[in-house]
Amino acid sequence: MLTILLISFLGACLMPLLAYVIGRGAGLVIALFPFGLLAAFVSMAPFVERGWVKGEAAEWAPWLGLDFTLRLDGFSFLLCLLITGLGGLVVIYAGGYLTNKSPAERARFFCYILLFLSAMLGAVLAENLLVFLVFWEATSILSFLLIGFEGRSARARRAALMSLQVTAFGGLALLLAVVMIGHVLGTYSMAQAIDRAGELHASPWSTAIVICILIAGFTKSAQFPFHFWLPNAMQAPTPASAFLHSATMVKLGIYLLSRFEPVIGAESWGRGALITVACITMLVAALQALRAENFKSALAYSTVASLGILVLLVGLDGPAASVAMIGFLFAHALYKAALFFCAGSVLHATGLYSLRAMGGLARHLPLTALACAGASLSMAGIPPFIGFISKEFLFQAQLESSWEAIPLAIAVIVNAVMVGVAGVVTLRPFFMGHGKVNKVQHGETFSLVMPPLLLACAGLFMSLAPDWITRVAIRPAVASVYGRAVEVDLTVWHGLTPMLLLSFVVVSIGAVIVIFWRKIHVWLRQRTRFNTYEIESLWEASLRNLILSSRQLTELLQHGDLRRYLLAVVGGTGLLVAWSVAGAGVAPDIPLLGELRPGEALVALGGLGGAIVAARARTLLSAMIATGLTGFAIAITFLMNGAPDLALTQFTVEALLVVLLSALLLAVPLASPPTRTKAMRGRDALLAFGVGALLFLGMMDMAAREHVSIASDFFGRMSLTSAHGHNVVNVILVDFRAIDTLGETIVIAIAAVMARSLLRSRGSEGPVPGPEPVHFSLQMTGRWLSLLLLLASMVILFRGHNQPGGGFVGGLVAALSFALLALAYGVNHAQRVLRLRTLTLVGLGMLCVLLAGVPGLLTGEPFLTHLWWEPGGVMPALSTTLLFDLGVYLVVLGAVLAFHFGLQREATR
Amino acid sequence: MTETVLLTAPVILPFVAAALVLILRARLAVTRAIGLIANGALLVASLLLFFYANGGHLVPLAVFGGWPQGISISFSATMPGLMLVVVTALLALAASIYALVDVGPRRRRAGYDALMLAMTGAVNGAFLTDDLFNLYVWFELALIAALGLLTLDRRPAQIDGAIRYASFSMLAATFILLGVGMIYGITGTLDVGRAAATLASQPPTFASATAAALLLGGFALKAGLFPFHLWLPASYHTGPITAVAVFAGLLTKMGFYALLLIFAGMFGVGAGGIGATQLVPVFGWIAAATILICCAGALAHTDMRRMLAYHIVAQVGYMTIGLALATREGIAAAVFYMVHSIVVQANLFFGAGLIRRASGSWDLTRAGGMARTNPLFALVLAVPVLSLAGIPPLSGFWAKFIIIRESFDADMAWIGVVALIGGLLTIVSMSSFWSDACWKEPRGKPVRRVPLAGLIAMTILSGATLAIGLMPQGLWTLSLLSSRALASIAGGGG
Amino acid sequence: MTLLYGFVGAGIFACALYMILSRNLVRMLLGFSMLATGVNLLLFLAGRIESRQPPIIADSARALGEAADPITQAMILTAIVIGFALTVMLAVLVLRAWRHAHSIDSRNVDSAESLGTPQEREPADD
Repeated sequence: MLTILLISFLGACLMPLLAYVIGRGAGLVIALFPFGLLAAFVSMAPFVERGWVKGEAAEWAPWLGLDFTLRLDGFSFLLCLLITGLGGLVVIYAGGYLTNKSPAERARFFCYILLFLSAMLGAVLAENLLVFLVFWEATSILSFLLIGFEGRSARARRAALMSLQVTAFGGLALLLAVVMIGHVLGTYSMAQAIDRAGELHASPWSTAIVICILIAGFTKSAQFPFHFWLPNAMQAPTPASAFLHSATMVKLGIYLLSRFEPVIGAESWGRGALITVACITMLVAALQALRAENFKSALAYSTVASLGILVLLVGLDGPAASVAMIGFLFAHALYKAALFFCAGSVLHATGLYSLRAMGGLARHLPLTALACAGASLSMAGIPPFIGFISKEFLFQAQLESSWEAIPLAIAVIVNAVMVGVAGVVTLRPFFMGHGKVNKVQHGETFSLVMPPLLLACAGLFMSLAPDWITRVAIRPAVASVYGRAVEVDLTVWHGLTPMLLLSFVVVSIGAVIVIFWRKIHVWLRQRTRFNTYEIESLWEASLRNLILSSRQLTELLQHGDLRRYLLAVVGGTGLLVAWSVAGAGVAPDIPLLGELRPGEALVALGGLGGAIVAARARTLLSAMIATGLTGFAIAITFLMNGAPDLALTQFTVEALLVVLLSALLLAVPLASPPTRTKAMRGRDALLAFGVGALLFLGMMDMAAREHVSIASDFFGRMSLTSAHGHNVVNVILVDFRAIDTLGETIVIAIAAVMARSLLRSRGSEGPVPGPEPVHFSLQMTGRWLSLLLLLASMVILFRGHNQPGGGFVGGLVAALSFALLALAYGVNHAQRVLRLRTLTLVGLGMLCVLLAGVPGLLTGEPFLTHLWWEPGGVMPALSTTLLFDLGVYLVVLGAVLAFHFGLQREATR
Repeated sequence: MTETVLLTAPVILPFVAAALVLILRARLAVTRAIGLIANGALLVASLLLFFYANGGHLVPLAVFGGWPQGISISFSATMPGLMLVVVTALLALAASIYALVDVGPRRRRAGYDALMLAMTGAVNGAFLTDDLFNLYVWFELALIAALGLLTLDRRPAQIDGAIRYASFSMLAATFILLGVGMIYGITGTLDVGRAAATLASQPPTFASATAAALLLGGFALKAGLFPFHLWLPASYHTGPITAVAVFAGLLTKMGFYALLLIFAGMFGVGAGGIGATQLVPVFGWIAAATILICCAGALAHTDMRRMLAYHIVAQVGYMTIGLALATREGIAAAVFYMVHSIVVQANLFFGAGLIRRASGSWDLTRAGGMARTNPLFALVLAVPVLSLAGIPPLSGFWAKFIIIRESFDADMAWIGVVALIGGLLTIVSMSSFWSDACWKEPRGKPVRRVPLAGLIAMTILSGATLAIGLMPQGLWTLSLLSSRALASIAGGGG
Repeated sequence: MTLLYGFVGAGIFACALYMILSRNLVRMLLGFSMLATGVNLLLFLAGRIESRQPPIIADSARALGEAADPITQAMILTAIVIGFALTVMLAVLVLRAWRHAHSIDSRNVDSAESLGTPQEREPADD
């Protein structure tokens, strides 16, 4: 079976290519493929008819509980025969039906149909529930693609989306059911799930499992209230409707429900739910079938009604119900497909949809009319057609079951309507109203006539000579549905039974409906209230509301006000911290006040004062000055607490920020009206204070505990002996944790790239045209000062390993030097002095930093292992750390200048 | 030697290429070639690393500078970072192919190649490092490179988007920095493994609870979790589509990876750690809110970029479920979801870019007609679309299935149901996306053919999605290994 | 001193947050610059304020004696530089925004948010 499935999928991908080669007759050739599959299945018949079950397994993802297990029993076998047999006929028919399409479109259609066929085979053969789910969803997707085959039409798209949304909803319900079954039983085997129905029933999940399975089955098999997608699905090309939406795919829900009947039946309300839903569905569908104007719609609603009957039969207990279910499923597949074929031929020939517009087609399409009549007789349950037998079984099952008379009454009415529909769809288009249609666009061809005729004949033949099919397919199928062998007697004449009486009643009412169809139809159509209460419009409205409320919700949250966004971030983080410490249930430790050094305290408080002034400042200039003050105060604090490197960096950064930000401040208005109301400011201050307070407590709790850093101790011990540097901070930066510095250097490099991209003038990076404003006051001292700064930067760079300094500070100071030059003599002059473009400088620096790590790599050590070379002990030691620091220096220099030059140019514009 | 070269290459290779691009930036053909070659070499190198690491018994480790492990910064080839490096390289290669059509001379002159290479290196660095502060540095580098890419065209919308992105991210960076500093202040180390020894085994103190919350806030913002997600739909849609596709694939996932490393690894959530148990329920609420709100956000939009931006965030919500479950399998499920999502999200943005290119509009009410003009494209696009919608047997189905299954097994069925509701909304959104883009007639201009390079890039990623979908066992095994590796950081290995 | 530095650091942090929540983009930018300062001071506490000796090995010694924690300093140094890069970059962005919107009120700088929203029925084609 695995091989068959594989061949089937492979063929589905390859065979349609023939449509390009062969052209119009392709259908007949491609049909050989499904018929071949059919033959392969038929060859397994001797196996199945003994009541054996054939299993096969392959490993897929066992760790996920996913084994590719297949199982062929009677029920699967019957469905496989239907799928492949009907599939072949559909392919033939499609070959004749799609004559006015391009080869590419035909090939696409064949591909979808064959893929669908393969997916169906997979679904009915699957034993593992996950595998079943995979194929189940595959059929939904292919149905979507086929309904939307005429994607240009908005109605087709709407129908396709609707069917996908409804069936995908069911698919998710099935997924949930499968997950729950796996959760309870620890296995995804379908057989296990059914065998251990008792265990499932005992678990707390049983109700949810059954509800989910019911939803899955009802959506796929178009049961109330999910029935509405099926009539819409008639937008698909007719061959697809015949195959998917009447004969096979919609039966998959029935298949699921009947497989899980033991699980559903274990719930006290399970069968009741099935029968209730089935009855409602049948009534609604019968009503709508009479209202339908369209040939295909009438058939679609009658299909929904038939599916309702099948669900009813699944719900009924007793062997007769199983027999009836299988019999009806089989008979329905045969006659409904035939009727769809006929509807398609009529559509193809006349281009007409409406039943009322058609008439007298028997003259133009005689063979189609014949086939239609045969299929309709079967549908109406007229002996000796197979539909009659199945209807007998249906009534027998109802009479034998323990249910009350209401379902029986409904079944009688619905069957009568179906007789009526069968009559109407045969008589009106073909045999009544002569002269309504005088000309047809396409005549009958072999491909169009053979499939419906064959099916109609099969309906007759199988009831007259039922031995083979009963033995091979029906009896094993019933046995596997019911759980043990049941005697099936598929003969036309059972004698005078209550069932025969009921059949007679049904046919009589049906005949009345046929006669008065037009009046009933018109009366029903005038009752527009039906339209408003259709589930379809409810579904559409809820979808619209969903999107509308989504919009409202999104507008509410994504309001576009940056302030409120940041409020959410700050507030959210504050809440997280509060929740975290509250949830941990711990109180903060506060360290002792200890010795208070007045000088340092004053500086620090000065920093805080600067911050408060900045926050309250009216103009941007005072805010910037106050911010700078805070920065300098903190730099001094660092200096006083044993961190000269930090102080140096902070000083330089603050100085550069003033230089760079002045370009921005020169452009924008310094004083603008407040952007927050007083209440907002109050709330912001409260929030900021709250978050600050939480942070303070957390920090104090941290600082109150003892601090042991193994790494710091190690660095302190090894810095001089192994890394040849006195300044531990610098050694950490260029050696112990050099990769951090590397990353940071690249951050600066990338910032430079960005500055270039954002500040570039429309042309390239060439010199600024025209005169530049220069500061003559700076020219007096500028040249010397900048030279001095440059020299200082070199010193800072070189001594960095042993004294405070290093590449960063060096680079920043060097940048200051060029910035000064640019301010004094203009950017062009500074660039000329620099010689290299800023970004080239950055690139070279990056390369230095990266290459500094490579020599170590070449000696077999990790990246960034530094090498030392002391030439004779006279010269200072050379090392790759110097290259590394030089790279940092260059990147920082280039990057800061990229910003500065860009901003200065921007300011002059 | 091999070990350290292989471990360093995914980070250093792109940086060297970026430096060369900067120096040679005047020659656009050369920089384009450098970008392509570097990304190809990156894929080879990361695959070599992957197989090297899986072949040996010891975890490959490189301590920069040759100092002792745990003292200096080390890179290690552990799951899930190792696997993510390979995925990153694959995505970067696909992006550089896609860029052949989407990134013209103007964008290259503005520094596209250097920015993209630096970002790739930064992402790889974050995936490989064992050091908290180093992680912070890589995040900053990725951020600044992303901002550069976002503003390549200097459009007003891009500048505005970048301001939003930058201001959010600077807050996040502050919180992360504070969190990292506090972890150092508490444990005296920046090495994730060493910090875990203190943090996972002891009940939280006031300081460690604060630090955990700060790290959660900061990285949740990077990952785009509710309520910190607002920056993402406000900025992503403005950038050049190649860059945005890479952001969509990598950046949020990088944030989520950090959450995994810190909470599943350092705090031992799901591995018996007790250091951050008070935050576990919060993960669940955040995940549920993110999924529902962002699926709704996707439904609300018809502009493809905005719609997909919301989907990015919603997907991170699903991953967070795995963390909220606090079980080994839950963490593994999160890893599985992460890999799936990287590939699919990027691919969807590629697709959106091609739809725009062919039909002239980003808006689904105007775009259309792709199936008739570009049938192959419609097929290739269907893979990520269906995968995101969770249709079997594609990667997204398994990802969702595992998440839901594990939430039932962890007795948190409610969150599994939330995931399903989100799944339904995603199906609604994705089906109309595909139907509108491929079937509907476009308004206005006739549809053009999509360029081949774009299609190739998409095919690479669609192929990866299909491969995960048809062989979920492989990725699931790696995910379980990842979960075990994360658990072993906190000493709960085995 | 720890208590005092903690107080000052948290205070600067809070003031900076207050500025960041302003709608004036330049004020926000200055807030971010100050936020970094506050955080750096707070981070300094992670290495504890115990010794005022710089972590520089004396010429006569072979190893570092009693000194301030060097790792914290290296960390803060890196953070200062990164913070500087981000601040300057944000400044450039704000300048660009000013150039096209002629406003530094964040409510007026909104062309990103209005791009491709369902509320604005002007589909984005570019």
